[in-house]
Amino acid sequence: MTSLQNKVTELFENGTINLLIGFKEAIHKLPVPCFIDNVSQVEQLIFTPSCKGNLSVYLHKTEVKQAKKVGILANTATLRAIVQLVSENQLGDIEKTVITLNTNGELVVFATMDELEAYVQANFPELSEEDKKLLDQLNAMSRTERWQYWTEQFSACVKCYACRAVCPMCYCSSCTVEGNQPQWIKVSSETTGNLEWHTMRAMHLGGRCINCGECGRICPVGIPVHMLTVKMNQDIEAEFGAKTGFSVKNGYALNSFKPGDKEQFIK
Amino acid sequence: MEIKNIKSTNIPAFFDQMIKSGKVVIAPVLKKSGKVFFEAVQSYDQVSTDYIQTGFSAKSVVFPKVEELFSFKKDDEGIEITNNLHTIPETVVWGLRPCDASAFNYLTEFFLKENPDTYFTARKEKTTLIAISCAKADNACFCTSVELNPGSTSGSDILLTAMGESVYIELITEKGKAAVETAASLFTPGEEKSKEEFLAKVTSVFSMDEVKVRIKTAYDSAEWKHASMGCFGCGACAFACPTCTCFDIQDEGTQDSGKRLRCWDACGFGLFTKHTSGHNPRTNQTERRRQRLMHKFKYSVENLGIVSCVGCGRCIRNCPAHLNIFENILSVTK
Repeated sequence: MTSLQNKVTELFENGTINLLIGFKEAIHKLPVPCFIDNVSQVEQLIFTPSCKGNLSVYLHKTEVKQAKKVGILANTATLRAIVQLVSENQLGDIEKTVITLNTNGELVVFATMDELEAYVQANFPELSEEDKKLLDQLNAMSRTERWQYWTEQFSACVKCYACRAVCPMCYCSSCTVEGNQPQWIKVSSETTGNLEWHTMRAMHLGGRCINCGECGRICPVGIPVHMLTVKMNQDIEAEFGAKTGFSVKNGYALNSFKPGDKEQFIK
Repeated sequence: MEIKNIKSTNIPAFFDQMIKSGKVVIAPVLKKSGKVFFEAVQSYDQVSTDYIQTGFSAKSVVFPKVEELFSFKKDDEGIEITNNLHTIPETVVWGLRPCDASAFNYLTEFFLKENPDTYFTARKEKTTLIAISCAKADNACFCTSVELNPGSTSGSDILLTAMGESVYIELITEKGKAAVETAASLFTPGEEKSKEEFLAKVTSVFSMDEVKVRIKTAYDSAEWKHASMGCFGCGACAFACPTCTCFDIQDEGTQDSGKRLRCWDACGFGLFTKHTSGHNPRTNQTERRRQRLMHKFKYSVENLGIVSCVGCGRCIRNCPAHLNIFENILSVTK
């Protein structure tokens, strides 16, 4: 057994967890989420750099909440999501045991939220080179060009809502798009309605999105939808000094007033 | 079956001739995102020739993501109701894979068996399917498990198979024969021969006969939980799928003017089965995904006599969680 499998076995045996959210290898060799509820299944567990998925999404699932004592394999994006979710008071009803691999490839099990937060702050990532490049391109565009760029991108959106489904911060039990009295956003997929949907989602996530990039990575039509919140996060950090997924005490920058907040943007 | 040959260097001329004849030609195009999608093209230069599978299937040609069923306008003189049926153009789908083409058999059964659907009928009548055999496959492909293969002719009007410097052409239907007539001088008569050495090798992962028997008792399998707990509940698989046909009827507009639309829907969405009362009979993602897989391998066999999975692998490639349909079918039927 690997050190990960040994550790998880130990956590089951000493009663620390009764469910582990992890990864196993699917038949086509890619990592697929798995939900382990006893030690007999531990041997399928893997945790490699290819495990890019953000498993914190599953912490909102009823079946997971019912398990109460939940272990989770967390890459750095998942760790940031957990910090942000704690700051938004979303994980109060489970006892979580978070396991990560540090930069040396060693297993780390966080004993407290303080430890986890300190680890996240010490390992806070820069934007990826690819995203930086795309952000520079977007910033260099005129408003008209940018509008055209996003109009073209969103005209291809089919409203499969995969972006919402994989987002750990999209945890509303009922989404605005699902209401029909009144109907804020059209059900049909067409450019204007698609733009409205993505704008609304970005507005709900600005200052909360933890830049995991999953929504852009998994979009079946390849829309880099994560760039909307990446950009909004940058603006919010510049205005309010608030990094998302950085501190459990931060809360949500757009939802809290501090006397020291900059006000240059009010013109 | 009538066989013809064409030099591969003459393919662009054949293709462009179809466009010149006034047909809308939908073909695989490489997009900026690096993915290949079907879209209407103006010349063969735009067509991608290097793809294993397109991101989405060709079903949108006969079952668009949004179909306007009718529109209405009310004024002092009364109500006027119109539809777009007369505007549907003669369309050629170029370069779909044999799995996708065979999906049209299921779509036809689904839309025409009971209460034939006017819109599907009109689109299907005007559509010619020119499929291209697969010379390459990836580890998401599993057509051979669902009794198809990289050179299946089922569902296509024409099947092209590249054989070195020439292309082997199977003219399967009258529509197919009519399509080559648009550029008859480019083709030479040929004889039936084996395509085997020019086709991708796709290993069969299960026996369909066994699955058909075992899935009858799979509903209560404990494996569904392991197979489907990871499902995020998006529609990426259903929207990419060549045989998913669920739709939602939406009315848009005001009292004075508006339209009725048929939009793609997906059984993976929680909202799909939610009642007006708020009650939802499919309470979790495990049950929703079970429905999707059971429909493909059991319910559609019972209702229409067809396994409604063609092994194209799109749900596997598109799944944000990397869930694998054939692995899951194997586990719930073992």
